[in-house]
Amino acid sequence: MSQFEEMQQAIIDGKAPVVKELTEQALRDGVKPAEFFPKAIVPAMNEVGRRMRDCEFFIPEVLIAARAARAATDILRPLLVGDEASRSAGTVVCCTVKGDLHDIGKNIVAMMLESAGFRIVDLGVDASPEKIVQAVQEHKANLVAMSALLTTTMVNMKAGIAALASAGLRDHVKIMVGGAPVTENWARSIGADGYGKDAPTAVDLARSLVAN
Amino acid sequence: MKGRERILATLDGQPADALPFMPITMMFAADHVGVKYLEYATDYRVQVDAQLRVAEDYDFDYVSVISDPACEAADCGASVKFFPDQPPALDEENALLADKGKLSTLKAPDPSSGGRMHNRLKALSLFKRRAGGDKSIEGWVEGPCAEAADLRGINALMTDFYDDPGFVSGLFEFVLELELAFGKAQIAAGAELIGIGDAAASLVGPKFYEELVWPYETRLVDGLRASGARTRLHICGNTRSILAGMGRLGCDIVDLDSLAPVSQGRREMGPRQVLLGNIDPVRALRNGTPESVYDAVAECHREACNRFIVGAGCEVPRDTPAANLRAMARYAREHGTAELQPKADSSRGLP
Ligand code: B12
Repeated sequence: MSQFEEMQQAIIDGKAPVVKELTEQALRDGVKPAEFFPKAIVPAMNEVGRRMRDCEFFIPEVLIAARAARAATDILRPLLVGDEASRSAGTVVCCTVKGDLHDIGKNIVAMMLESAGFRIVDLGVDASPEKIVQAVQEHKANLVAMSALLTTTMVNMKAGIAALASAGLRDHVKIMVGGAPVTENWARSIGADGYGKDAPTAVDLARSLVAN
Repeated sequence: MKGRERILATLDGQPADALPFMPITMMFAADHVGVKYLEYATDYRVQVDAQLRVAEDYDFDYVSVISDPACEAADCGASVKFFPDQPPALDEENALLADKGKLSTLKAPDPSSGGRMHNRLKALSLFKRRAGGDKSIEGWVEGPCAEAADLRGINALMTDFYDDPGFVSGLFEFVLELELAFGKAQIAAGAELIGIGDAAASLVGPKFYEELVWPYETRLVDGLRASGARTRLHICGNTRSILAGMGRLGCDIVDLDSLAPVSQGRREMGPRQVLLGNIDPVRALRNGTPESVYDAVAECHREACNRFIVGAGCEVPRDTPAANLRAMARYAREHGTAELQPKADSSRGLP
């Protein structure tokens, strides 16, 4: 097995300490920080996403795999400099909207985005529109990812978008939404830029949104 | 038949004049009588009043004390957030067992020591006085996985399954003792049916469900049955990979949420299991029309065959149109059941 294959397997198996060790070893061997994403982390997390869709993986497996990926990204992120850092896919403000405390799905989406090379600003749960606006300004984010699991809180996505608009930020960020009750139609009706039904879709979506 | 008789007959495989109608209502019930949810969840008199009225107005066959997942955890000392018109919720960031070491010093609360659990017991006594005989009275406890998640934080618990299964078992032991005591106190106060809500169990997958969760669910179900109560299992979410195990618990009623097809539930749990559900609370019930709701219930009934109770996959959403809920009641009332083979007493294991 190559170094990268070994690392992919360790991520899929959720072995954070092994991933950390392999990352450090590979860096010592002269591998460039940016290389890890396309060669190890992204393919591993794609496989995790596939297994989740096919019901081979459930929440515990997904969470430990994401944690293992983070063991690598935590080391790599500070090493990405200049060009590489800005090429790093973009900065995403992630949150569960106001009134809603469900965060398992949001956490998985955030971790998948992170392992795809995005910088994540995680506002946690129950995030008010003002908090979202503030975070976008402060971190110069180019993406906002909002999650809602309750039909009663979905409307707060709309409030988030309105707040970004009145702060004059709507044209500076792409907005994507998701969560079990959210649909493509709903996303369109509130003026979001995209909807993702699961975490792997969220990654593809985020990539295509920042590319446009 | 009275609602209570209808439910008991159905559970015993006896003929009934109609299908039992047992939808879960919480916020819907509070809105129905115009009270804020905070009052509903924290003042038993308000809850009892609202439940009796919603049951009467929509022809439910039962009343319930279910309100939110934070009842037991609050009495254990967990930090709980209260909102004026929403269910109380656990403050996961400050979970009681954020530090696993605290488990060894944690004491199970006395259910009648004046806290939220006591409020639930008082609701049951009042139900008994006001509804006894007419409607079935349902108590409610959190299942092992759900309550463990409430105490530890659900995100942390999910990774504990891999990191520290010994801790998970220890926590489940604690929860089992707590919920058995609470369930028994509810039975003594007047509950003849105990609902067990174990939502988090739908997230762990078949391996951990069978190895770690199921053994504790079984002990809980057995203990409640030994105290004379009927049992109802309610696991929200996608339970497709654990249905067989849910059937093997031997609960009198198994609820199916909308993500778990009734046909699959029937196949995996056998012909004798009473199934309840499973129209999609939001897409079918709240957003549908009376006609589409009626048809959706008919489809569930067709897939469930006999031994079926009318209800939605989960809680009736608060803004559900009255006519849609009435359409469910109408379906139930129009469909009586014939005598079925009695449910063998040793039904566990062999459907
Ligand atoms: C676990 C859970 C809880 C836990 C949450 C703990 C936590 N830290 O998250 C607790 C116990 C606290 C809870 C509380 C409540 N819950 Co709850 N809960 C669930 C449950 C069982 C699982 C949700 C979950 O985590 N799924 C797993 C994750 C991975 O899936 P997901 O979130 O959908 O995320 C995926 C995709 O949607 C997508 N995605 C998610 N976010 C985003 C964002 C973007 C940008 C993109 C692109 C994609 C994306 O990717 C994810 C990964 O693939 C569901 C039932 C179910 N199975 O759906 C009910 C459910 C969501 N809860 C429900 C309810 C009603 C409640 C309560 C009101 C109950 C009550 N009466 O007290 C409270 C509300 C508390 C609050 N204010 O938020 C209802 C919601 C009904 C509705 N549509 O309005 C559900 C559907 C149960 C039901 N069948 O009725 N709940």
